[in-house]
Formats: sequence, C-alpha cells, structure tokens
Amino acid sequence: MIKRFFEWTISPMGRIGFIIGALALFSLAAYGIAETQTAPDQPLEFRHDLHVTKGVQCLYCHPGALRGPSPGLPTISKCWGCHQQLEITNTSERLEPMREAIDPATNEPKANLIWIPVAQVPDFVHFTHRPHIAAGLNCENCHGDLSKMEIYENPQVLNMGWCLKCHKNRTEDNAANNPTNDAQVSALLAEKRLKLTDCGTCHY
Amino acid sequence: MSEKISRRDFLKLATAGAATTAVLTGCGPSSRYIKREPYMEMPEYTYNGLSTYYATTCRECSAGCGLVIRTMQGRAIKAEGNAGNPVNLGKTCARGQATLQGLYNPDRIENPLKQARGAALAKENKMEWDAAIGIVSDALAAHNPSEIAFLMGLAPDHLFDLVSDLTNVIGAPAPVRFGALGMFESRATLSKAAENLFGQSAMPFFDIANADLVISFGANFLETWLSPVAQTRGFAKMRRGNPKVRGHFIQFESRMSQTAAKADEWIPLQPGTEGLVALAIGRLAAGMGGPAPRAFAGVDPNDVASKSGVKLETLEHVAQLIVEAQSPLAIPGGAALGQSNGLFTAEAVLALNALLDNYGKTVFVSPLSPNQDAYHRPASAQEITDFIARMKGGEIKVLFIHGVNPVFELPKALGFAEALANVETVVSFATFPDETALKSDYIFPDHHGLESWGYQRSVTSVTQSTLSGAQPVVSPNYNTRATADVLIAAAQSAGGKFAEALPFKDEVEFIQSKLASLVGQTDGSFVAPEINTFSAYFQQHGGWWKTTADLAAPSASSALGKTVTIESAEFAGEGEFFFLPFVSPTLGEAGANKPWLQELPDPTTTVMWNTWVEINPETAHELHLENDDVVEITSEAGSVKAAVYVYPAIHPHVIAMPFGQGHTAYGRYATSRPAGDRFMGLVPSSKQAADVQVSPRGANPTDILGAHFNGAGDLAFAGMKVGVKKTGEKQILSRLESRIGVYGEGMGEAH
Repeated sequence: MIKRFFEWTISPMGRIGFIIGALALFSLAAYGIAETQTAPDQPLEFRHDLHVTKGVQCLYCHPGALRGPSPGLPTISKCWGCHQQLEITNTSERLEPMREAIDPATNEPKANLIWIPVAQVPDFVHFTHRPHIAAGLNCENCHGDLSKMEIYENPQVLNMGWCLKCHKNRTEDNAANNPTNDAQVSALLAEKRLKLTDCGTCHY
Repeated sequence: MSEKISRRDFLKLATAGAATTAVLTGCGPSSRYIKREPYMEMPEYTYNGLSTYYATTCRECSAGCGLVIRTMQGRAIKAEGNAGNPVNLGKTCARGQATLQGLYNPDRIENPLKQARGAALAKENKMEWDAAIGIVSDALAAHNPSEIAFLMGLAPDHLFDLVSDLTNVIGAPAPVRFGALGMFESRATLSKAAENLFGQSAMPFFDIANADLVISFGANFLETWLSPVAQTRGFAKMRRGNPKVRGHFIQFESRMSQTAAKADEWIPLQPGTEGLVALAIGRLAAGMGGPAPRAFAGVDPNDVASKSGVKLETLEHVAQLIVEAQSPLAIPGGAALGQSNGLFTAEAVLALNALLDNYGKTVFVSPLSPNQDAYHRPASAQEITDFIARMKGGEIKVLFIHGVNPVFELPKALGFAEALANVETVVSFATFPDETALKSDYIFPDHHGLESWGYQRSVTSVTQSTLSGAQPVVSPNYNTRATADVLIAAAQSAGGKFAEALPFKDEVEFIQSKLASLVGQTDGSFVAPEINTFSAYFQQHGGWWKTTADLAAPSASSALGKTVTIESAEFAGEGEFFFLPFVSPTLGEAGANKPWLQELPDPTTTVMWNTWVEINPETAHELHLENDDVVEITSEAGSVKAAVYVYPAIHPHVIAMPFGQGHTAYGRYATSRPAGDRFMGLVPSSKQAADVQVSPRGANPTDILGAHFNGAGDLAFAGMKVGVKKTGEKQILSRLESRIGVYGEGMGEAH
C-alpha cells in the first residue's frame, strides 16, 4: 500500500508539487531559525548602549549572571530608583511604558514590564553562567559589546557548534594555552577538553 | 486507498509522523515563546531558579531543634534539620517537617481582632495595630503591677526573657511558662528529684548514646519526652555506634509505647510500682556485690514482685544485666512520675543511678545555655492551679497569653476556662484560632515561627551550652506582628518604668542586647569581634553553641546516704481500670491543625484522624467489646467517648488514650465538620470555615483528669481509676493496618 501512496510522486506534476512542498518546509524552518536569532519587539526599546556607556555594571541589573542559569531582570523599582531622578524620564517617548508602570500618587510601581528573552539556548541544554564567569569570561565574550548595541540582539547564533568551538579552542594544546609547553599543563588541557566536549556536561 | 493498511505500514507512517513532529517542534527552544515578567519588588537574596536556605529554630515543641528552611522565590518550601545544631545534628521529627503547614495554614488569624469571649472567631472585627498597641499599653499602665499576669508556652525563648525583664522592672509577678508536654513529661518532678538528690535545681542529662544498658521507667524518650530527636540520635548511637556491643534496652511501662516497641525487653507492670521496681533491682544488684546502701535497704524484692506483677526472676535477670553492664543507665519519666508517688519514683531511679556509679558516667546535669543565670523550669500543674486560684479570686485583672492553649491543654477539672470569666481583660497573642484565643477579649496575632526573629535556649538532652537562633525565612503572610514588638511599642507608649524596662527600638535590637555578652567569646561555634558581625553569624549558623561538651557530674554521696521513703501510689476515682493518657507522638499538643500530621498513622496502632482507646484483648472480651465500639470512660472528673482499639500490648488493668485530639476550635483540620462540607472551606464557593458549626475531632483525655498532684506539684495524670461502659455505638477508625484476620475480623462469623 505504501508504494501506491507514493506513486503520485513519480508523475511530473507530482514531482513539481513535491519539490514545492519541500522548499516550503525548508524556508519555513529557515525562517523559524532566523526568527530565534533576531531581536524581538520589547515592551520598551531599552538602550543597552546608553546604560553601559554611563558606567552601569551588567551585574547591577542582572545579578543572577554571577551564579545562576538565569541572569535575572531588573525590577521596575530598580529602574525607577535611578530614573525618577533623571530629567529625560519625563520627556522621552521611549520611556512612556515605564512612566505608566509607576503610580504617580505613591511613586511606587503598580504594573510590570514584560520582556521577551533574546539570548536563548534550547531547553535540553543545562546552561549556567557560573562556570563561564569562573573561567574568566566576561559578559561581552558571548553577548557582544553592548556599549555599541542600541537594542540588544544576539551577536552570533547560540548553537552547539558555537559552544563547542570555544570549548575546543580554549583547551587546545597550543602556544596560546600552553606558552611554556609544560607537560603538566598539557595533561590538564587534555583532561579539560575531555570534560568540556563530553555530552553530559551540558545535556543531562 | 480502499486496501487495508498493514501493521508494518502503519508503524512506518506513525514513525515518520512522530519524526516530522519532533523535527518541526524541536527547532527552537520552547521558552522562546514565553515572556518574562520580573519582580516589581525583588525579595532580598533571591536568584531566579535558585533556592535560598535559612537557618532557624523549630517552634513546634520546646526542644529547640535547629532547622534549615529551603525557600524558593520568597516561599518556604521544605524544612530539614540544621546539621550544625548540637540538639538535633540535622535531624527532625514529623512535627518539625510539618511546620510549613502551620505557616501556610488556611485558618491563621490574619489581623488583630476584637474578639467576643466564647464566640466564633470575629474575623470582621478587625483592628489597627496602633489601636491594638494602645490597648496593651493602657492595660499595662492602668493596672497595679500585681494585677498583670503573663502566661507563656514551654519554650525558654527571647520573648520569655523580654517579658521577664518587663515584669522584673515594673514589679509584676514573673511570667508563668506552661505546656501540656511539660505536664505529661512530669518535668517539675524530674527537676525536683534532681534537686533533692544532686543538691541543685537542674535538668538531669541522661547520656543514652554512651550507655550499653538503658532501663527506662516510663520515659517515652523516642516520642515526645523532653527532646525526642536528640534522644533518638543518642539511642541510635547506643545501638549501632559501637561495632562490638549493641546496647541493650529495657522498658518498664504498663503500655507498649513506640519507645517500648523499640526495646529488647518490654516489661509491663502495675502502674505506680515503678519506683519500687527500681529499688528492688538496686537491692538485688547490690546484693550481688555486697550489702545494699541505705537507700535500698528497706525494700523487699519478693514483696515488690507481688505488688508490681513483675516476676522475681525478671527482676533478678535485670539486676544481673546491670551488674554485667559497663555503663548502665536508668531513666525516670513520663507516666511513671505522673502518679501520686511520682517524686518517690524519680528519686528511686536517680538513686539507682547513684548506686550503679553512673553519676558523671551516664548521668549528668544539663549545661545552662549561654546568657542564662540559672535553670528556670516551667510551672508545675500545682503552680498553675495556684495561678488559676488567683484568676478566680480576681487578683489578676489583665492576662496576656502567648504560645500556650490552656483551655485545651489543662485538665478541665482545674477550671481555667471558668476562671477566665473573672479576669477583666484577656489578650491572646495566638497565631491560630485556638480554644483560648476564642475565649479572649482581643487577639493580637504573633507571626508564625518561620516569620519571626528570636532565639531559644536548649535546656534538655543537649551536651553543650546552646542558644538556637531564629530568623524569618519568609516575609509575614498576613497583617500579624511580633509579640515582642507589640510589647516594646506598648511599653514605650506607657512611658515611665515601662519604657525603662524595654528601651529598645524593636525586637531585633532587644535580641542583640541579649547576645552582646557572647561577642568575643572564643569557645563557641564562631567568634565575632562586634555585635553586627555576631548577629550575622548567628543567623547564618542558626545559633551559637560551645564546641565542647560541658556536662557536670552531680555528686553521688548525698544520694546514697539518703533514705528514700517508700510511698505507694494512690489512685483517685472508683472505676476498675487504671487510666493512662499519653501524648500522641505525631500530633503532640498543637499538631492537630496540620493535615500531614493527622494523616500520619500513629506508630503503634496506625490510627489516623481520630482518638482511640487502647484495651487489652482479654479485657475487651470480658466487656464484650470489639474494635471500633464506642465506649464511655468515666472518672471522678467527667467522661469522654472514644472508639476502642483492641491492643494486645497493654496491661489488662490499664486503658490508654492519646492526647492531641478533641479540639473544639483550632481550625478546620483539628475539628470535625459536617459531612456536606467536604471542601473544608478551601473552595471559595463552599462555606467559609467560620460559618460552619464544628464539632470536636476525637476526644481529649484531659477532660477526665482530676486535680491530684504528686510531691513535686506535677499532675498525677496517670493516677486515675476509671470505669468503661459500652455505648452500643460504632465508629470506624481509619487505620493503616489491615483488619482482616485480626481477632477474627473479616473472617465471617467464626468467633
């Protein structure tokens, strides 16, 4: 029966139809993947560049990045703590959603800003910031230079190839990682490589 | 497509379909399609997805075990023991585990209330805290200090210290501490006996862990007695700690309790003869090595055997074991001391320890906790009776009640509820709508223990001087306020000597003032140079304790030279059975409002959600009673009804009944509600808790206890004789164990 089911694909129109179908599926998938890598619309066009160039530390707003899987988002009361003292808060059109979230009578938050996450890994990856910070990486190594980014978008595709590339680079026994060509360091790098390329390190 | 799809084809298509679905849906992270809402106000120390752990103290009973509470995004989600705390070393009991169900109990009092005495909880009569503090302040200032009284729970905590300071300065009577657990433990008897024999008022420490033979006279130390978690730990060490010797354990008790069930030998005996048995064993043991010292000279083992119902061979066997043991230990406690001759029994057992040269080996004096001047024992039932007499006589005009539910916990015969009528103003600081709170004029609810600051002394079964610390693990769920804060604010507003007594900004400042003496001390679990660092460490570690044991050995010479006057027990009432009330190991005195504990089967009978009466099968047969028959138990003080549980492990002349149920208030789980109200008020559309007429769940054995006391002033709660009458009603007890085949049940009409 199953042979008959596919018999129509042998006819010329069938072949064209099949190719169109396959192309449609492919472009849909490509669009979907591209969509996951572009910056979504946020409730407020938050300018990372302005904040970073004014000297606000990343961890001030995202304290969880030091130790957990989730960096955390700043509370609206934290935003308001600074912004209520700034002139631009009253005039900026972009800041309208924030002004609306604050009750003018009490000067306390009354509503929340709901954000769309941008830098994402699939659910089957157990990502946590802590070992990456411990390995000496800085925020911009993965998230890009936010002092030059108006609206945050991923500087690269956050997929497994990208993760592994870095895991491998940093454990390769070369002049950068082992300048004195020490045997002990070589052994250490080999062990690290084993751990950092093991499936179970991220997928458990 | 008219042909049928073969099985093989079907599988192929299904696999292709599943693979397509997986590929299409697996392209991106599913969390891609969600939105993220940050906190408006982020709780301190909160990280998304990570738990935060807080060390605090369990307030379910007065033992003072350390807890570590796991919290997730501002909610307490799991209670476990604090491995650092020397009382429990990381362990908890069922009541400790269930403390979360107190925190999230749907029947908590949510606001300060003006309560009409005896009426249902007046939820609608909400007050403002300022008004509440005004009432406390006026009550303090407008009365002569001698007319003010504080009745508090068993725990020696920071609030007790605060109230003691207040009453000291203003010249009011010292606060009275009381709890049913202390009453059923006969704590006053134990410390009085220690005073008589050791020459100092103290709580004895029994080192179960390092004994190789433990003989317990009625002390149910694995259940509720003193500090069950610490003693269970000691017991485990005694049994398994030494790879060469497994400690031997003998329990003398007229009913097989959970503790007795763990014993190698459970020896049932006539109630009230425990002291005699201890002396006889001492006499026999001494006789194997030489002449008996004075304390034991006057006892005749043959006579004891006939009085107690324990065979002479058994006594000799125990004496033999004692002589052979390296470090034996005899423990007096529980129902053995709750007799008219309880003080004699306690002295006899302590003297037996002196004879065996246990002082300084397995029997010690418990260390005082840091910042403590002397051992303050809780009030005995006799002292509570005097307190009630003062209430009745109108000497007490203002009564503040915190941490205890005397209307439920005290025997009805003492007349506490009636005496309340003669007190002008009764203020309850209860967290839950218990019986006493409903009979008050005002309820100014304290936080739940997991929402409060504090410290607590660990005075029982701990080897080193310990102060267990408490801190809020969540912010308060309701409009409640710490009683310490209420009293401090009221004292400030009353001014004069009141303000002098409590010159603090708030509770935390008061606690710090009490911890100040420990700053810089080097023999403790941590060292801190100044008070703020000390407080931070105190919270982090869950308290402060010395790192080494500081147990003192009592002197034995006075104990052996003393003549122990033999007293026989007297029993009140006309009935033919000895009545033995015991504290439910799962419910305790205040666990009945937690469904986990209600659902937890009793360890020996497996009964849940109700009260039962234990009767020996022979006795039951004589009285024509079967399981689940409701009987009426009548004493000189009154009568209660409960269903029969036929229990082979009880003396035929004794009937036993657990204490813990029989609440007439205390929330939906502690009381019984009409059959139609099956959602217990949890579903908004069903009737709310207060609107429904409740009836007690089970029965309260203290209702039939008479006002009889032993030589130390403790209640002779096991010194009652009662009658048992079949009512003809049946009440099926929910039990975990099967009934099939037990006493012929479920086997047809065979018997």
